[in-house]
Amino acid sequence: MAAAPSGGSPQGGAKTLGHPHRVRAYDEELTRLRGLIMEMGERTVEQIQGAVSALLGPDASPAYRVLDREPQIDFLALDADEEVFRLIARRQPTAVDLRIVLALARIAAEAERAADKAARIASHALEFRADDTRLPPPIQDALRALDEVICCAFERGVAAVSRFDIDLAVAVFEDEAEMRSAAGTLHQTLIAPAAAPLPALKLAPLVIVAHTLEHVGKHACAIAEQVIYVAEGKDVRFRNREILVETLRHRGS
Amino acid sequence: MNALASEIVRDTSAVSAADLAKGGHFSGTIGDITTPDPRMVCREVNVWYGDKHAIKDVSLDIGNHQVVAMIGPSGCGKSTFLRCLNRMNDTIDGCRVRGSITLDGREIYDKGLDPVPLRAQVGMVFQKPNPFPKSIFENVAYGARIHGLTNSKAELDALVETSLRKAGLWNEVKDRLDQPGTGLSGGQQQRLCIARTIAVSPEVILMDEPCSALDPIATAIIEELIDELREHYSIAIVTHSMQQAARVSQRTAYFHLGDLVEVGETTQVFTNPRHKLTEDYITGRFG
Repeated sequence: MAAAPSGGSPQGGAKTLGHPHRVRAYDEELTRLRGLIMEMGERTVEQIQGAVSALLGPDASPAYRVLDREPQIDFLALDADEEVFRLIARRQPTAVDLRIVLALARIAAEAERAADKAARIASHALEFRADDTRLPPPIQDALRALDEVICCAFERGVAAVSRFDIDLAVAVFEDEAEMRSAAGTLHQTLIAPAAAPLPALKLAPLVIVAHTLEHVGKHACAIAEQVIYVAEGKDVRFRNREILVETLRHRGS
Repeated sequence: MNALASEIVRDTSAVSAADLAKGGHFSGTIGDITTPDPRMVCREVNVWYGDKHAIKDVSLDIGNHQVVAMIGPSGCGKSTFLRCLNRMNDTIDGCRVRGSITLDGREIYDKGLDPVPLRAQVGMVFQKPNPFPKSIFENVAYGARIHGLTNSKAELDALVETSLRKAGLWNEVKDRLDQPGTGLSGGQQQRLCIARTIAVSPEVILMDEPCSALDPIATAIIEELIDELREHYSIAIVTHSMQQAARVSQRTAYFHLGDLVEVGETTQVFTNPRHKLTEDYITGRFG
């Protein structure tokens, strides 16, 4: 029997699902919720970059800004929660709308946790630079590389949310290997002779920073999973990533 | 401002509501029209009101001990289809029904089949409560009496009590059975009509928007009752309330312009519908 499915997507490019809601306020509320989550995502990326720059830059002052701004993301998370409650109570969303609301609530939680991690990195940066210690160049390079790949993945994840774009979500999954590789390189560098000038007490916060950045990458992947959930109607958490990526790449073919 | 969901990367090959309205071709029902234990089996049912083709090749099973919700915009044919299930459309001039509808394997449109006992086997509850202008007792006893279902006053009394109990009304009316049914509240009247339907031992109960005239409390009581009745009967319900369909049914069928667009497990239809038309309708995007 020929099907005209509501789920699925064509290869590449953004297409439209259909009509707006009959009740315009419903669309406005959904758009407002998405706006909050996008803002959280964008600010989280800035926070991560700021926290890492406190380790890489000439001084640790960006870390203070990160810690100052952290509560703003918490407030955005509270606003997003309130918007979710209001939407569920007033609109009783179904089908794709229900998935959007659930996914945006989960994405808000992921972004908020990622922002917490940025604050943790900032705290460790202050700890590390308390006596004006500078990172040895090899560690700087490895940390910068990890930061770039993590921030790139997180930005992709947030961008994927803006249109629930499967291709961008798949790109985040594809970044995972690079994230692992960059994290591995940083860990290796931290225990390599190049880091020898640093005493163990100085290395400890850097190891934590490396682990924390890796976790931010996992939040990016979790956001991408929610994008797939909305667009495809499938919960892909805990699925084998390689098979998932392969399936999503060949969807519709 | 664009709809958030309208920006999602989606398949645009799906037939749209506008296409169908212009006479576009509908490609067929999505989902499993069959159930493992069907009470009624409908195949390629077509209905015309004069020249108007109101139901187009609709096939659907009504399962045993199951509630099937029929949803869709006004004029989509869901009530027309419901009325086919006990030949209520026979009473409408110019209405023609083609196709096959069987109840326990027997074709209900056989020329030799008397529709009166059929309508006892396949009872109907209407949108607006319509008790007879008689006592509460007589409202329930009437059908049993004309169908000759009881042999004595004691049996009739027992039947009335059982039916009112099943309809969840006995405790509220047991001390005033001789009072007019029309004196009850709207919700009680609707339960009285359900008791009247139950009293003639139906196999299937059809409900055409049974709660649309009731307040939320009365609606909740009827919905609870529907869930209890499912243990004994097959139920097909037409409703305009998406939430009600989601709450009371196990399967949902979405109709559009006389076509059965999609049928499936209610949870699946309301969380992840497979047809774009279904999704547009249940999310309020129809346009």
